[in-house]
Amino acid sequence: MTDTALEAAALGKRFGRLRRSAGWALRDCSFALPAGRVCAVVGPNGAGKSTLLALAAGLLAPTEGTLSVLGEPVGQARARVGFVAQDKPLYPQLTVAETLRMGGDLNPGRWDARAAERIVAGGDLDPKARVRSLSGGQRTRVALALALGKRPELLLLDEPMADLDPLARHELMGVLMSQAAQHGTTIVMSSHVVAELEDSCDHLLLIGGGRVRLAGEIDALLETHARVSAAADTDLAPHTVVESRTTGRQLTALIRPAAPLPADWRPGTPSLEELVLSYLRNPEAQTTAPGTPAKSPEESAV
Amino acid sequence: MTATTTAATPAPATGRPAATGRTVLRLHRAALIVWLVVVAAAAGSLLWAYGPAATDAYAHWRRQCPDDIDACMWDTTINGYYRAVRLPELALSWLCLPVAAWAGAALIGREMENGTAKLAWTQSVSPARWLVGKLAVPAAVLTAGTTVLVLVHRLTFEANPFPVYLYWSERETFVANGTVAVALPLCALALGALTGLLLRRTLPALALGTAVTWAVAYLAAQATPDLWPWKTATASLESEWPTLGTDVLYGDQGMLTDTGSRIPYPTCGDDFAQCMTDHHATAFYADYHPASHFWPLQLIETGILLGVTATAVTTAFWLLRRRTTTGAATFPLPRRKTGAAA
Repeated sequence: MTDTALEAAALGKRFGRLRRSAGWALRDCSFALPAGRVCAVVGPNGAGKSTLLALAAGLLAPTEGTLSVLGEPVGQARARVGFVAQDKPLYPQLTVAETLRMGGDLNPGRWDARAAERIVAGGDLDPKARVRSLSGGQRTRVALALALGKRPELLLLDEPMADLDPLARHELMGVLMSQAAQHGTTIVMSSHVVAELEDSCDHLLLIGGGRVRLAGEIDALLETHARVSAAADTDLAPHTVVESRTTGRQLTALIRPAAPLPADWRPGTPSLEELVLSYLRNPEAQTTAPGTPAKSPEESAV
Repeated sequence: MTATTTAATPAPATGRPAATGRTVLRLHRAALIVWLVVVAAAAGSLLWAYGPAATDAYAHWRRQCPDDIDACMWDTTINGYYRAVRLPELALSWLCLPVAAWAGAALIGREMENGTAKLAWTQSVSPARWLVGKLAVPAAVLTAGTTVLVLVHRLTFEANPFPVYLYWSERETFVANGTVAVALPLCALALGALTGLLLRRTLPALALGTAVTWAVAYLAAQATPDLWPWKTATASLESEWPTLGTDVLYGDQGMLTDTGSRIPYPTCGDDFAQCMTDHHATAFYADYHPASHFWPLQLIETGILLGVTATAVTTAFWLLRRRTTTGAATFPLPRRKTGAAA
């Protein structure tokens, strides 16, 4: 079962049962993420991305459903999972070196001090500097070093690159990708900037309104969708329409073809960003995801 | 540096437990230093009172009443001695409040508020293990410190040459002489940690943790004397009042009627005898705990405090377990699993 990094079944999380604002941050999520993938978790703000990652990291207990991580119940695989939270929490009173030493203390038998130090050194950080004196980007670097130092089999990153400059972002993305390539680490990273993920990710989990809207290999997802433009009165009938827009006599649409498309529709492959935006703009669009493994009963997600 | 180089060689995951204790000490170094300074200062003060101060003050004091020690009254020459003993006693009685504040705010509340607890929980340490470290290390340090202070205080107390100070029955002296002084900070630690987990915010946890600890300490102190049978002294109406000296802890006092029931001391006019007759009073009575009740009282109050401590710790672990996924105990939610696994 360890060939599945993350598997959710009817997973749901509700916050604040007692409060008036009680609501489901995540509901009826079912998906399976094969091991070794670099998966982008995409969705608008407040979609439930952070909740999903916190559930996977064993920081929250699900309200309903199950989630297994690396073939084990979530929480039991703690030593094999790395996590970097969105706000990059670190102990401000410790120095960078002390923070890494803490990583060694808390990850006995797994800690790779050299790898962690290398990542920190890449940012030209003084190991004796207190964490509270670091900039946001430097803190991100320390947090990533801490997460990678434990040599996780699954690395969960919540908006990891948000406060890095383009250079550092490029460099750290490189570190992550080489980690994934070298050790077969599964990486799950969330973002609302799709362009940031397009080059590095091969799997997509699109979340909107607390539900999984789309899940699967990016290539397969792109292949099974088409951007078409046709005359305004064209009937798109047998195909599943994700989004369609009419300007003048021209109809442009993103569809999931059910049959070969007529050539005069000028079908083209959408970019990942187009695909994601189309789904996010149209919450009503059917969420059947043909790219996902048969395990995920997406149809039941109503 | 040596630690990092040895750890660098990739080793298979061994059974070696995570060094949560070392992490806790590293994180709360400042608090540890403060505690060590407080313990050292209090112990030093008591030892000074035990040694040079006692000898000095005693000699000074007796110069005013060389013949009869009972004639010696309160005198400023022994104020230094008094302060040197009383301040550590006050510290042992009330250090539980700053301990609760610290436990609620710095130990737990701040970690919950800043999200650093999540940092710890996503290392190879489960939330429960994290809380064990967070509680066990301060508990050990607090216990060691208070034990030393109680022993030194007992030494000073036993050797006290002044008959006018330091009665066992005074609240602060009572606390400082026994296990209550050890139990109070432990109870404060548990209550502070629980409020920190409950409120997940630094300042509210600081305030509530301190308030709850104060209430528990107060109630335990109030309840304890009634939980061990009082001794009762009676005295006839002629002798006015049962005299037991100053070395007892007084409880309920009043009049016994001819039916044997107890009434509060009546407000009498000029005619005392008539007043007594009107109230059917036949004798004075006074409940008291003699010095021999010291240990039963100590153990009862310690028991109450440790009971509260155990309850708070259990609740804290239950709360943490409910919020986070800590392994198999919370995992089975079988009702919707079958469909997805197909």
